[in-house]
Amino acid sequence: MVRKILAYTLLLLGAAIAILPFVVTILASLKTAPELAKGIFSLPNEAQWQNYEKAWTQGHFGRFFGNSIIVAVGVVVPSIFLSTLTGYAFARFRFRGSNIAFTYLLLGLVIPLQAMVVPLYYVLREIGLLDSLVGLILPQIAMSLSFGTLLMRQGFLSVPNDVMEASIVDGANSWQSLWQVMFPLSRPMVGTIGLMFFIWTWNEFMLPLVVNVNPKYHTLPVGLMYFQDRWTANIPLIAAGATIIFLPIIAIFLIFQRQLIEGITQGAVKG
Amino acid sequence: MATPVTGAESGSAPARLRHLEPWLYLLPGLLIFTAFMAIPTAGTIILSLTDWNGISWNTAIFNGLANYQRALESVQFRTAFWNNLKLIPFFVLLPALIGLIPAAIVHQLRLRGGRWFQAGLFLPYIMPGVLIGVVWAWILNPIFGPVNKVLKQLGWASPPTWLGDFIWALPTVGFIGAWAAYGFCYVVFLAGLQKIPNDQYEAARIDGAGMWQEFTGVTLPGLRGEIAVVLSINLINALRAFDVIKTTTDGGPGTETQVMALYMINSAFGANQAGYGAAIAVLLSVITLVGSMLILRFAGERNG
Repeated sequence: MVRKILAYTLLLLGAAIAILPFVVTILASLKTAPELAKGIFSLPNEAQWQNYEKAWTQGHFGRFFGNSIIVAVGVVVPSIFLSTLTGYAFARFRFRGSNIAFTYLLLGLVIPLQAMVVPLYYVLREIGLLDSLVGLILPQIAMSLSFGTLLMRQGFLSVPNDVMEASIVDGANSWQSLWQVMFPLSRPMVGTIGLMFFIWTWNEFMLPLVVNVNPKYHTLPVGLMYFQDRWTANIPLIAAGATIIFLPIIAIFLIFQRQLIEGITQGAVKG
Repeated sequence: MATPVTGAESGSAPARLRHLEPWLYLLPGLLIFTAFMAIPTAGTIILSLTDWNGISWNTAIFNGLANYQRALESVQFRTAFWNNLKLIPFFVLLPALIGLIPAAIVHQLRLRGGRWFQAGLFLPYIMPGVLIGVVWAWILNPIFGPVNKVLKQLGWASPPTWLGDFIWALPTVGFIGAWAAYGFCYVVFLAGLQKIPNDQYEAARIDGAGMWQEFTGVTLPGLRGEIAVVLSINLINALRAFDVIKTTTDGGPGTETQVMALYMINSAFGANQAGYGAAIAVLLSVITLVGSMLILRFAGERNG
Protein backbone atom coordinates (compact mmCIF):
# COMPACT_ATOMS: atom_id res chain seq x y z
CA MET A 1 0.00 0.00 0.00
CA VAL A 2 2.75 2.42 0.97
CA ARG A 3 4.59 1.46 -2.17
CA LYS A 4 1.53 2.25 -4.26
CA ILE A 5 1.10 5.65 -2.68
CA LEU A 6 4.77 6.40 -3.31
CA ALA A 7 4.40 5.30 -6.91
CA TYR A 8 1.36 7.50 -7.46
CA THR A 9 3.18 10.43 -5.90
CA LEU A 10 6.06 9.86 -8.28
CA LEU A 11 3.73 9.79 -11.28
CA LEU A 12 1.89 12.87 -10.13
CA LEU A 13 5.17 14.69 -9.69
CA GLY A 14 6.30 13.67 -13.17
CA ALA A 15 3.07 14.87 -14.75
CA ALA A 16 3.11 18.09 -12.71
CA ILE A 17 6.64 18.95 -13.80
CA ALA A 18 5.65 18.33 -17.40
CA ILE A 19 2.60 20.62 -17.22
CA LEU A 20 3.76 23.31 -14.81
CA PRO A 21 5.64 25.51 -17.32
CA PHE A 22 2.50 25.78 -19.43
CA VAL A 23 0.34 26.60 -16.43
CA VAL A 24 2.64 29.38 -15.21
CA THR A 25 2.81 30.73 -18.77
CA ILE A 26 -0.97 30.99 -18.98
CA LEU A 27 -1.06 32.63 -15.55
CA ALA A 28 1.70 35.07 -16.52
CA SER A 29 -0.16 36.01 -19.70
CA LEU A 30 -3.08 37.28 -17.63
CA LYS A 31 -1.13 39.40 -15.17
CA THR A 32 0.49 42.80 -15.13
CA ALA A 33 4.28 42.87 -14.97
CA PRO A 34 4.43 44.06 -11.32
CA GLU A 35 1.87 41.43 -10.36
CA LEU A 36 4.00 38.76 -12.01
CA ALA A 37 7.07 39.97 -10.17
CA LYS A 38 5.30 39.25 -6.88
CA GLY A 39 4.58 35.61 -7.60
CA ILE A 40 4.23 33.24 -10.53
CA PHE A 41 1.73 30.78 -9.06
CA SER A 42 -0.77 33.30 -7.81
CA LEU A 43 -3.94 33.95 -9.75
CA PRO A 44 -4.19 37.39 -11.36
CA ASN A 45 -6.29 39.91 -9.46
CA GLU A 46 -8.01 40.79 -12.64
CA ALA A 47 -7.39 38.97 -15.91
CA GLN A 48 -5.37 41.25 -18.16
CA TRP A 49 -6.92 40.38 -21.51
CA GLN A 50 -5.29 43.41 -23.05
CA ASN A 51 -2.02 41.45 -23.05
CA TYR A 52 -3.58 39.25 -25.71
CA GLU A 53 -4.98 42.21 -27.55
CA LYS A 54 -1.57 43.84 -27.59
CA ALA A 55 0.22 40.68 -28.70
CA TRP A 56 -2.43 40.05 -31.34
CA THR A 57 -2.31 43.54 -32.87
CA GLN A 58 0.95 45.32 -31.95
CA GLY A 59 2.89 42.05 -31.77
CA HIS A 60 1.32 40.92 -35.07
CA PHE A 61 0.32 37.57 -33.61
CA GLY A 62 -2.96 37.90 -35.46
CA ARG A 63 -1.09 37.77 -38.74
CA PHE A 64 1.27 35.02 -37.58
CA PHE A 65 -1.73 33.01 -36.48
CA GLY A 66 -3.47 33.50 -39.81
CA ASN A 67 -0.31 32.47 -41.68
CA SER A 68 0.09 29.40 -39.50
CA ILE A 69 -3.51 28.38 -40.16
CA ILE A 70 -3.16 28.87 -43.92
CA VAL A 71 0.06 26.87 -44.01
CA ALA A 72 -1.37 24.12 -41.78
CA VAL A 73 -4.49 23.70 -43.91
CA GLY A 74 -2.45 24.04 -47.10
CA VAL A 75 -0.18 21.23 -45.98
CA VAL A 76 -2.56 18.88 -44.19
CA VAL A 77 -5.36 18.63 -46.76
CA PRO A 78 -3.22 18.03 -49.87
CA SER A 79 -0.91 15.72 -47.90
CA ILE A 80 -3.83 13.53 -46.87
CA PHE A 81 -5.12 13.49 -50.43
CA LEU A 82 -1.75 12.62 -51.99
CA SER A 83 -0.89 10.04 -49.31
CA THR A 84 -4.25 8.42 -49.92
CA LEU A 85 -3.46 8.09 -53.63
CA THR A 86 0.07 6.76 -53.14
CA GLY A 87 -0.89 4.46 -50.28
CA TYR A 88 -3.76 3.10 -52.35
CA ALA A 89 -1.50 2.48 -55.35
CA PHE A 90 0.80 0.30 -53.25
CA ALA A 91 -2.00 -1.48 -51.38
CA ARG A 92 -4.23 -2.31 -54.29
CA PHE A 93 -1.97 -2.93 -57.29
CA ARG A 94 0.89 -5.27 -57.93
CA PHE A 95 3.03 -3.73 -60.61
CA ARG A 96 6.54 -3.69 -61.92
CA GLY A 97 8.62 -1.09 -60.10
CA SER A 98 6.35 -0.91 -57.08
CA ASN A 99 9.12 -1.92 -54.68
CA ILE A 100 11.50 0.69 -56.03
CA ALA A 101 8.83 3.40 -55.98
CA PHE A 102 7.84 2.46 -52.43
CA THR A 103 11.41 2.54 -51.15
CA TYR A 104 11.98 5.84 -52.93
CA LEU A 105 8.95 7.46 -51.32
CA LEU A 106 9.90 6.14 -47.89
CA LEU A 107 13.37 7.69 -48.07
CA GLY A 108 11.80 10.76 -46.56
CA LEU A 109 11.55 8.89 -43.27
CA VAL A 110 15.32 9.00 -42.86
CA ILE A 111 16.04 12.34 -44.55
CA PRO A 112 15.66 15.23 -42.14
CA LEU A 113 14.99 18.77 -43.29
CA GLN A 114 18.52 19.65 -42.26
CA ALA A 115 19.91 17.34 -44.92
CA MET A 116 18.24 19.30 -47.70
CA VAL A 117 17.43 22.77 -46.43
CA VAL A 118 20.40 24.51 -48.06
CA PRO A 119 19.63 23.51 -51.67
CA LEU A 120 15.90 23.73 -50.95
CA TYR A 121 16.38 27.42 -50.28
CA TYR A 122 17.95 27.89 -53.71
CA VAL A 123 15.31 25.74 -55.42
CA LEU A 124 12.64 27.96 -53.91
CA ARG A 125 14.60 31.06 -54.91
CA GLU A 126 14.80 29.82 -58.52
CA ILE A 127 11.04 29.36 -58.76
CA GLY A 128 10.33 32.62 -56.93
CA LEU A 129 8.82 31.12 -53.79
CA LEU A 130 11.03 32.72 -51.16
CA ASP A 131 9.04 34.98 -48.87
CA SER A 132 5.72 33.31 -49.58
CA LEU A 133 3.42 30.89 -47.83
CA VAL A 134 3.44 28.53 -50.84
CA GLY A 135 7.19 28.21 -50.30
CA LEU A 136 6.43 26.77 -46.88
CA ILE A 137 3.55 24.60 -48.02
CA LEU A 138 5.06 22.66 -50.92
CA PRO A 139 8.19 21.37 -49.12
CA GLN A 140 6.16 20.38 -46.09
CA ILE A 141 3.76 18.39 -48.26
CA ALA A 142 6.80 16.57 -49.65
CA MET A 143 8.09 16.00 -46.12
CA SER A 144 4.73 14.54 -45.05
CA LEU A 145 4.36 12.09 -47.92
CA SER A 146 6.66 9.32 -46.68
CA PHE A 147 4.88 8.85 -43.39
CA GLY A 148 1.49 9.31 -45.04
CA THR A 149 2.16 6.74 -47.75
CA LEU A 150 3.38 4.20 -45.22
CA LEU A 151 0.36 4.58 -42.95
CA MET A 152 -2.29 4.83 -45.65
CA ARG A 153 -0.94 1.70 -47.33
CA GLN A 154 -1.15 -0.10 -43.97
CA GLY A 155 -4.66 1.21 -43.49
CA PHE A 156 -5.83 0.02 -46.91
CA LEU A 157 -4.18 -3.37 -46.47
CA SER A 158 -6.06 -3.87 -43.23
CA VAL A 159 -9.42 -3.53 -44.98
CA PRO A 160 -10.74 -7.09 -45.42
CA ASN A 161 -10.26 -8.39 -48.95
CA ASP A 162 -13.89 -9.31 -49.54
CA VAL A 163 -14.95 -5.72 -48.92
CA MET A 164 -12.85 -4.53 -51.82
CA GLU A 165 -13.87 -7.51 -53.94
CA ALA A 166 -17.50 -6.73 -53.33
CA SER A 167 -17.06 -3.21 -54.63
CA ILE A 168 -15.28 -4.55 -57.70
CA VAL A 169 -18.05 -7.04 -58.36
CA ASP A 170 -20.48 -4.16 -58.12
CA GLY A 171 -18.69 -2.73 -61.15
CA ALA A 172 -16.82 0.08 -59.43
CA ASN A 173 -13.53 1.09 -61.01
CA SER A 174 -10.49 1.60 -58.79
CA TRP A 175 -11.15 5.33 -58.33
CA GLN A 176 -14.75 4.75 -57.27
CA SER A 177 -13.91 1.93 -54.90
CA LEU A 178 -11.21 4.13 -53.34
CA TRP A 179 -13.51 7.02 -52.49
CA GLN A 180 -16.75 5.12 -51.93
CA VAL A 181 -15.41 2.16 -49.96
CA MET A 182 -11.74 2.19 -49.02
CA PHE A 183 -11.27 5.78 -47.91
CA PRO A 184 -14.29 5.85 -45.59
CA LEU A 185 -13.18 2.55 -44.06
CA SER A 186 -9.70 3.95 -43.40
CA ARG A 187 -10.92 7.03 -41.56
CA PRO A 188 -9.04 6.26 -38.31
CA MET A 189 -5.78 6.16 -40.24
CA VAL A 190 -6.68 9.37 -42.06
CA GLY A 191 -7.30 10.97 -38.68
CA THR A 192 -3.95 9.85 -37.34
CA ILE A 193 -1.90 11.13 -40.26
CA GLY A 194 -3.92 14.34 -40.36
CA LEU A 195 -3.10 15.02 -36.71
CA MET A 196 0.57 14.26 -37.22
CA PHE A 197 0.78 16.49 -40.28
CA PHE A 198 -0.89 19.29 -38.38
CA ILE A 199 1.46 19.10 -35.40
CA TRP A 200 4.57 18.90 -37.58
CA THR A 201 3.46 21.85 -39.67
CA TRP A 202 2.32 23.97 -36.72
CA ASN A 203 5.65 23.40 -34.95
CA GLU A 204 7.99 23.71 -37.94
CA PHE A 205 10.64 26.31 -37.26
CA MET A 206 13.78 25.84 -39.34
CA LEU A 207 12.06 25.97 -42.74
CA PRO A 208 10.16 29.24 -42.20
CA LEU A 209 13.18 30.73 -40.46
CA VAL A 210 15.32 30.11 -43.55
CA VAL A 211 12.76 30.66 -46.30
CA ASN A 212 10.82 33.71 -45.13
CA VAL A 213 12.72 36.79 -44.10
CA ASN A 214 9.81 39.17 -44.65
CA PRO A 215 7.78 39.38 -41.39
CA LYS A 216 4.62 39.49 -43.49
CA TYR A 217 4.97 35.75 -44.04
CA HIS A 218 6.11 34.66 -40.60
CA THR A 219 4.32 31.77 -38.96
CA LEU A 220 3.83 31.58 -35.20
CA PRO A 221 7.12 29.90 -34.13
CA VAL A 222 9.34 32.33 -36.05
CA GLY A 223 7.11 35.21 -35.04
CA LEU A 224 7.42 34.25 -31.39
CA MET A 225 11.19 34.09 -31.62
CA TYR A 226 11.56 37.61 -33.03
CA PHE A 227 8.87 38.84 -30.65
CA GLN A 228 10.87 37.49 -27.72
CA ASP A 229 13.98 39.28 -28.97
CA ARG A 230 12.16 42.59 -29.14
CA TRP A 231 10.14 42.47 -25.94
CA THR A 232 12.56 40.58 -23.69
CA ALA A 233 11.47 42.27 -20.50
CA ASN A 234 7.73 42.26 -21.06
CA ILE A 235 7.05 38.75 -19.84
CA PRO A 236 3.22 38.94 -19.73
CA LEU A 237 3.20 39.92 -23.39
CA ILE A 238 5.59 37.11 -24.38
CA ALA A 239 3.53 34.71 -22.31
CA ALA A 240 0.39 35.80 -24.16
CA GLY A 241 2.12 35.17 -27.49
CA ALA A 242 3.34 31.78 -26.30
CA THR A 243 -0.17 30.86 -25.14
CA ILE A 244 -1.57 31.75 -28.56
CA ILE A 245 0.76 29.11 -30.03
CA PHE A 246 0.12 26.30 -27.63
CA LEU A 247 -3.60 26.57 -26.88
CA PRO A 248 -4.59 25.10 -30.27
CA ILE A 249 -2.22 22.20 -29.69
CA ILE A 250 -3.59 21.58 -26.21
CA ALA A 251 -7.15 21.70 -27.57
CA ILE A 252 -6.32 19.18 -30.27
CA PHE A 253 -4.45 17.05 -27.78
CA LEU A 254 -7.38 16.95 -25.38
CA ILE A 255 -9.80 15.96 -28.14
CA PHE A 256 -7.67 13.41 -29.97
CA GLN A 257 -5.35 12.29 -27.20
CA ARG A 258 -5.43 8.56 -27.89
CA GLN A 259 -5.02 8.82 -31.65
CA LEU A 260 -2.29 11.38 -31.26
CA ILE A 261 -0.22 9.30 -28.86
CA GLU A 262 -0.61 6.28 -31.12
CA GLY A 263 0.39 8.31 -34.12
CA ILE A 264 3.50 9.71 -32.48
CA THR A 265 4.66 6.40 -31.15
CA GLN A 266 4.27 5.04 -34.68
CA GLY A 267 5.59 8.10 -36.42
CA ALA A 268 8.45 8.51 -34.01
CA VAL A 269 10.69 6.89 -36.57
CA LYS A 270 10.36 10.00 -38.70
CA GLY A 271 11.79 12.13 -35.92
CA MET B 1 1.43 -6.10 -65.79
CA ALA B 2 -0.64 -4.28 -63.26
CA THR B 3 -3.30 -6.43 -61.74
CA PRO B 4 -5.54 -5.71 -58.82
CA VAL B 5 -4.35 -7.53 -55.73
CA THR B 6 -7.76 -9.08 -55.34
CA GLY B 7 -10.76 -9.91 -57.41
CA ALA B 8 -11.72 -9.72 -61.02
CA GLU B 9 -10.40 -7.30 -63.60
CA SER B 10 -12.44 -4.17 -63.51
CA GLY B 11 -13.83 -3.68 -66.96
CA SER B 12 -13.39 -0.34 -68.63
CA ALA B 13 -9.75 0.61 -69.36
CA PRO B 14 -8.07 -1.04 -72.37
CA ALA B 15 -5.74 -3.81 -71.21
CA ARG B 16 -2.56 -2.26 -72.56
CA LEU B 17 -3.15 0.89 -70.56
CA ARG B 18 -3.94 -1.03 -67.41
CA HIS B 19 -0.33 -1.10 -66.27
CA LEU B 20 -0.35 2.70 -66.13
CA GLU B 21 -3.15 2.78 -63.60
CA PRO B 22 -1.08 2.57 -60.37
CA TRP B 23 1.36 5.13 -61.77
CA LEU B 24 -1.47 7.60 -62.24
CA TYR B 25 -2.16 7.34 -58.51
CA LEU B 26 1.52 7.75 -57.73
CA LEU B 27 2.29 10.56 -60.13
CA PRO B 28 1.28 13.67 -58.15
CA GLY B 29 2.93 12.41 -54.99
CA LEU B 30 6.08 11.37 -56.81
CA LEU B 31 6.35 14.73 -58.54
CA ILE B 32 6.11 16.84 -55.43
CA PHE B 33 8.34 14.46 -53.47
CA THR B 34 10.96 14.58 -56.18
CA ALA B 35 10.90 18.35 -56.54
CA PHE B 36 10.99 19.28 -52.87
CA MET B 37 12.65 16.30 -51.21
CA ALA B 38 14.73 14.17 -53.56
CA ILE B 39 16.25 16.93 -55.68
CA PRO B 40 17.27 19.09 -52.70
CA THR B 41 18.74 16.04 -50.98
CA ALA B 42 20.81 15.14 -54.02
CA GLY B 43 21.55 18.86 -54.32
CA THR B 44 23.09 18.87 -50.86
CA ILE B 45 25.62 16.26 -51.91
CA ILE B 46 26.46 18.06 -55.16
CA LEU B 47 26.61 21.46 -53.49
CA SER B 48 28.89 20.09 -50.80
CA LEU B 49 31.50 19.47 -53.49
CA THR B 50 31.55 23.08 -54.62
CA ASP B 51 32.74 26.44 -53.47
CA TRP B 52 29.75 28.71 -53.88
CA ASN B 53 28.68 31.98 -52.31
CA GLY B 54 25.01 31.25 -52.94
CA ILE B 55 24.48 34.34 -55.05
CA SER B 56 24.64 33.52 -58.74
CA TRP B 57 24.87 30.01 -60.15
CA ASN B 58 27.84 30.61 -62.46
CA THR B 59 30.15 31.46 -59.57
CA ALA B 60 30.04 27.88 -58.26
CA ILE B 61 33.37 26.08 -58.54
CA PHE B 62 33.86 22.35 -58.13
CA ASN B 63 36.34 21.84 -55.34
CA GLY B 64 36.09 18.14 -54.52
CA LEU B 65 36.27 17.24 -50.87
CA ALA B 66 37.79 20.53 -49.78
CA ASN B 67 34.68 21.54 -47.80
CA TYR B 68 34.76 18.29 -45.86
CA GLN B 69 38.42 18.68 -45.14
CA ARG B 70 37.84 22.22 -43.99
CA ALA B 71 34.97 21.17 -41.72
CA LEU B 72 36.86 18.33 -40.11
CA GLU B 73 39.84 20.60 -39.49
CA SER B 74 37.77 23.55 -38.30
CA VAL B 75 37.72 24.28 -34.60
CA GLN B 76 34.17 25.55 -34.88
CA PHE B 77 32.80 22.36 -36.41
CA ARG B 78 34.65 20.23 -33.88
CA THR B 79 33.28 22.34 -31.04
CA ALA B 80 29.77 21.99 -32.44
CA PHE B 81 30.13 18.24 -32.89
CA TRP B 82 31.57 17.87 -29.40
CA ASN B 83 28.68 19.89 -27.95
CA ASN B 84 26.21 17.57 -29.68
CA LEU B 85 27.98 14.65 -28.04
CA LYS B 86 27.80 16.38 -24.67
CA LEU B 87 24.04 16.69 -25.11
CA ILE B 88 23.65 12.92 -25.43
CA PRO B 89 23.55 12.07 -21.70
CA PHE B 90 20.87 14.73 -21.24
CA PHE B 91 18.81 14.20 -24.38
CA VAL B 92 19.17 10.41 -24.62
CA LEU B 93 19.89 8.64 -21.35
CA LEU B 94 18.28 10.92 -18.78
CA PRO B 95 14.76 11.02 -20.28
CA ALA B 96 14.90 7.28 -21.02
CA LEU B 97 15.69 6.59 -17.36
CA ILE B 98 13.12 9.05 -16.02
CA GLY B 99 10.56 7.42 -18.32
CA LEU B 100 11.54 3.82 -17.71
CA ILE B 101 11.46 3.74 -13.92
CA PRO B 102 7.88 4.96 -13.38
CA ALA B 103 6.64 2.87 -16.31
CA ALA B 104 8.18 -0.25 -14.77
CA ILE B 105 6.81 0.59 -11.32
CA VAL B 106 3.31 1.19 -12.66
CA HIS B 107 3.35 -2.09 -14.51
CA GLN B 108 4.98 -4.26 -11.86
CA LEU B 109 2.82 -2.92 -9.04
CA ARG B 110 -0.18 -3.25 -11.35
CA LEU B 111 -1.24 0.29 -10.64
CA ARG B 112 -4.45 1.46 -12.20
CA GLY B 113 -4.57 4.75 -14.03
CA GLY B 114 -1.02 4.63 -15.36
CA ARG B 115 -2.47 5.60 -18.70
CA TRP B 116 -4.27 8.54 -17.20
CA PHE B 117 -0.99 10.24 -16.39
CA GLN B 118 0.32 9.88 -19.90
CA ALA B 119 -1.76 12.80 -21.11
CA GLY B 120 0.07 15.27 -18.91
CA LEU B 121 3.43 13.61 -19.35
CA PHE B 122 3.16 13.59 -23.09
CA LEU B 123 2.29 17.24 -23.53
CA PRO B 124 5.81 18.73 -23.80
CA TYR B 125 6.70 16.34 -26.58
CA ILE B 126 4.15 17.77 -29.02
CA MET B 127 4.93 21.40 -28.27
CA PRO B 128 6.95 23.54 -30.71
CA GLY B 129 10.64 23.65 -29.78
CA VAL B 130 10.50 27.43 -30.08
CA LEU B 131 7.79 27.61 -27.46
CA ILE B 132 9.73 25.34 -25.11
CA GLY B 133 12.79 27.53 -25.61
CA VAL B 134 10.95 30.79 -24.99
CA VAL B 135 9.13 29.53 -21.90
CA TRP B 136 12.27 28.09 -20.31
CA ALA B 137 14.32 31.15 -21.23
CA TRP B 138 11.88 33.13 -19.11
CA ILE B 139 11.72 30.61 -16.24
CA LEU B 140 15.51 30.54 -16.06
CA ASN B 141 16.07 34.24 -16.74
CA PRO B 142 18.50 35.52 -14.09
CA ILE B 143 16.68 38.82 -13.63
CA PHE B 144 12.93 38.16 -13.92
CA GLY B 145 12.80 34.38 -13.98
CA PRO B 146 11.10 32.52 -11.14
CA VAL B 147 13.87 29.94 -10.62
CA ASN B 148 16.55 32.37 -9.48
CA LYS B 149 14.01 34.35 -7.50
CA VAL B 150 13.23 31.24 -5.48
CA LEU B 151 16.91 30.36 -5.12
CA LYS B 152 17.66 33.86 -3.83
CA GLN B 153 14.83 33.61 -1.33
CA LEU B 154 16.32 30.34 -0.17
CA GLY B 155 19.54 32.17 0.59
CA TRP B 156 21.68 31.61 -2.49
CA ALA B 157 22.97 35.13 -2.98
CA SER B 158 24.13 34.83 -6.58
CA PRO B 159 22.81 31.75 -8.37
CA PRO B 160 24.21 31.00 -11.86
CA THR B 161 22.73 32.78 -14.84
CA TRP B 162 22.03 29.31 -16.29
CA LEU B 163 21.63 29.84 -20.05
CA GLY B 164 24.10 32.72 -19.99
CA ASP B 165 26.70 30.92 -17.90
CA PHE B 166 29.77 29.40 -19.55
CA ILE B 167 29.67 26.32 -17.36
CA TRP B 168 25.92 25.91 -16.93
CA ALA B 169 24.59 26.75 -20.39
CA LEU B 170 25.05 23.32 -21.96
CA PRO B 171 23.73 21.25 -19.04
CA THR B 172 20.80 23.67 -18.78
CA VAL B 173 19.92 23.24 -22.44
CA GLY B 174 20.36 19.52 -21.84
CA PHE B 175 17.88 19.54 -18.97
CA ILE B 176 15.34 21.37 -21.11
CA GLY B 177 15.75 18.63 -23.73
CA ALA B 178 15.35 15.92 -21.10
CA TRP B 179 12.27 17.64 -19.74
CA ALA B 180 10.74 17.71 -23.21
CA ALA B 181 11.34 14.00 -23.85
CA TYR B 182 10.81 11.99 -20.67
CA GLY B 183 7.04 11.80 -20.95
CA PHE B 184 7.34 10.46 -24.46
CA CYS B 185 9.74 7.75 -23.23
CA TYR B 186 7.29 6.84 -20.46
CA VAL B 187 4.41 6.44 -22.90
CA VAL B 188 6.40 4.26 -25.30
CA PHE B 189 7.65 2.06 -22.45
CA LEU B 190 4.20 1.73 -20.92
CA ALA B 191 2.78 0.65 -24.28
CA GLY B 192 5.61 -1.87 -24.65
CA LEU B 193 4.99 -3.32 -21.21
CA GLN B 194 1.39 -4.18 -22.11
CA LYS B 195 2.78 -6.59 -24.68
CA ILE B 196 4.79 -8.65 -22.17
CA PRO B 197 2.77 -11.79 -21.35
CA ASN B 198 1.64 -11.75 -17.73
CA ASP B 199 2.71 -15.34 -17.09
CA GLN B 200 6.32 -14.22 -17.36
CA TYR B 201 5.75 -12.12 -14.25
CA GLU B 202 3.80 -14.96 -12.60
CA ALA B 203 6.67 -17.35 -13.26
CA ALA B 204 9.19 -14.89 -11.85
CA ARG B 205 7.05 -14.45 -8.74
CA ILE B 206 6.74 -18.20 -8.23
CA ASP B 207 10.52 -18.33 -8.39
CA GLY B 208 10.52 -15.83 -5.55
CA ALA B 209 11.72 -12.81 -7.55
CA GLY B 210 11.46 -9.40 -5.90
CA MET B 211 10.72 -6.10 -7.63
CA TRP B 212 14.32 -5.72 -8.77
CA GLN B 213 14.64 -9.27 -10.14
CA GLU B 214 11.35 -8.83 -11.96
CA PHE B 215 12.71 -5.63 -13.42
CA THR B 216 15.98 -7.11 -14.65
CA GLY B 217 14.59 -10.54 -15.51
CA VAL B 218 11.29 -9.72 -17.20
CA THR B 219 10.74 -5.99 -17.71
CA LEU B 220 14.09 -5.06 -19.26
CA PRO B 221 14.32 -7.99 -21.70
CA GLY B 222 10.68 -7.49 -22.62
CA LEU B 223 11.27 -3.85 -23.47
CA ARG B 224 14.33 -4.51 -25.63
CA GLY B 225 12.69 -3.22 -28.80
CA GLU B 226 11.16 -0.13 -27.20
CA ILE B 227 14.41 0.78 -25.48
CA ALA B 228 16.24 0.59 -28.80
CA VAL B 229 13.64 2.77 -30.51
CA VAL B 230 13.51 5.35 -27.72
CA LEU B 231 17.27 5.65 -27.48
CA SER B 232 17.70 6.06 -31.20
CA ILE B 233 14.94 8.68 -31.44
CA ASN B 234 16.45 10.57 -28.53
CA LEU B 235 19.86 10.33 -30.15
CA ILE B 236 18.53 11.75 -33.38
CA ASN B 237 17.03 14.63 -31.40
CA ALA B 238 20.36 15.23 -29.66
CA LEU B 239 22.36 15.28 -32.87
CA ARG B 240 19.87 17.42 -34.79
CA ALA B 241 19.08 19.78 -31.91
CA PHE B 242 18.20 23.22 -33.26
CA ASP B 243 14.90 24.87 -32.25
CA VAL B 244 15.38 24.96 -28.49
CA ILE B 245 19.02 26.03 -28.74
CA LYS B 246 18.32 28.72 -31.31
CA THR B 247 15.68 30.28 -29.06
CA THR B 248 17.48 29.92 -25.71
CA THR B 249 21.20 30.51 -26.23
CA ASP B 250 21.67 30.81 -30.01
CA GLY B 251 24.88 28.84 -29.51
CA GLY B 252 26.26 30.99 -26.74
CA PRO B 253 27.69 32.12 -24.49
CA GLY B 254 30.71 32.12 -26.78
CA THR B 255 30.37 28.79 -28.53
CA GLU B 256 29.43 26.83 -25.42
CA THR B 257 26.17 25.55 -26.90
CA GLN B 258 27.06 25.78 -30.58
CA VAL B 259 25.73 22.64 -32.26
CA MET B 260 26.08 21.20 -35.75
CA ALA B 261 22.65 22.24 -37.05
CA LEU B 262 23.15 25.81 -35.89
CA TYR B 263 26.63 25.97 -37.36
CA MET B 264 25.28 24.57 -40.63
CA ILE B 265 22.57 27.23 -40.94
CA ASN B 266 24.95 30.02 -39.92
CA SER B 267 27.61 28.92 -42.40
CA ALA B 268 25.21 28.46 -45.31
CA PHE B 269 23.03 31.53 -44.86
CA GLY B 270 24.82 33.79 -42.42
CA ALA B 271 28.27 33.52 -43.96
CA ASN B 272 27.08 32.88 -47.54
CA GLN B 273 29.06 29.68 -47.89
CA ALA B 274 26.44 27.43 -49.42
CA GLY B 275 28.89 24.68 -50.37
CA TYR B 276 30.46 24.56 -46.95
CA GLY B 277 27.06 24.57 -45.26
CA ALA B 278 25.97 21.68 -47.47
CA ALA B 279 29.06 19.69 -46.50
CA ILE B 280 28.16 20.17 -42.83
CA ALA B 281 24.60 19.05 -43.61
CA VAL B 282 25.98 15.86 -45.13
CA LEU B 283 28.27 15.25 -42.15
CA LEU B 284 25.41 15.90 -39.74
CA SER B 285 23.14 13.47 -41.60
CA VAL B 286 25.76 10.73 -41.84
CA ILE B 287 26.66 11.05 -38.16
CA THR B 288 22.98 10.88 -37.19
CA LEU B 289 22.30 7.88 -39.41
CA VAL B 290 25.33 5.94 -38.19
CA GLY B 291 24.60 6.77 -34.57
CA SER B 292 20.98 5.67 -34.66
CA MET B 293 21.85 2.49 -36.57
CA LEU B 294 24.51 1.63 -33.98
CA ILE B 295 22.01 2.08 -31.15
CA LEU B 296 19.34 0.02 -32.88
CA ARG B 297 21.86 -2.77 -33.40
CA PHE B 298 23.48 -2.54 -30.02
CA ALA B 299 20.29 -2.27 -28.00
CA GLY B 300 18.58 -4.81 -30.18
CA GLU B 301 21.29 -7.42 -29.68
CA ARG B 302 22.36 -6.81 -26.11
CA ASN B 303 19.49 -8.70 -24.61
CA GLY B 304 18.61 -10.81 -27.59
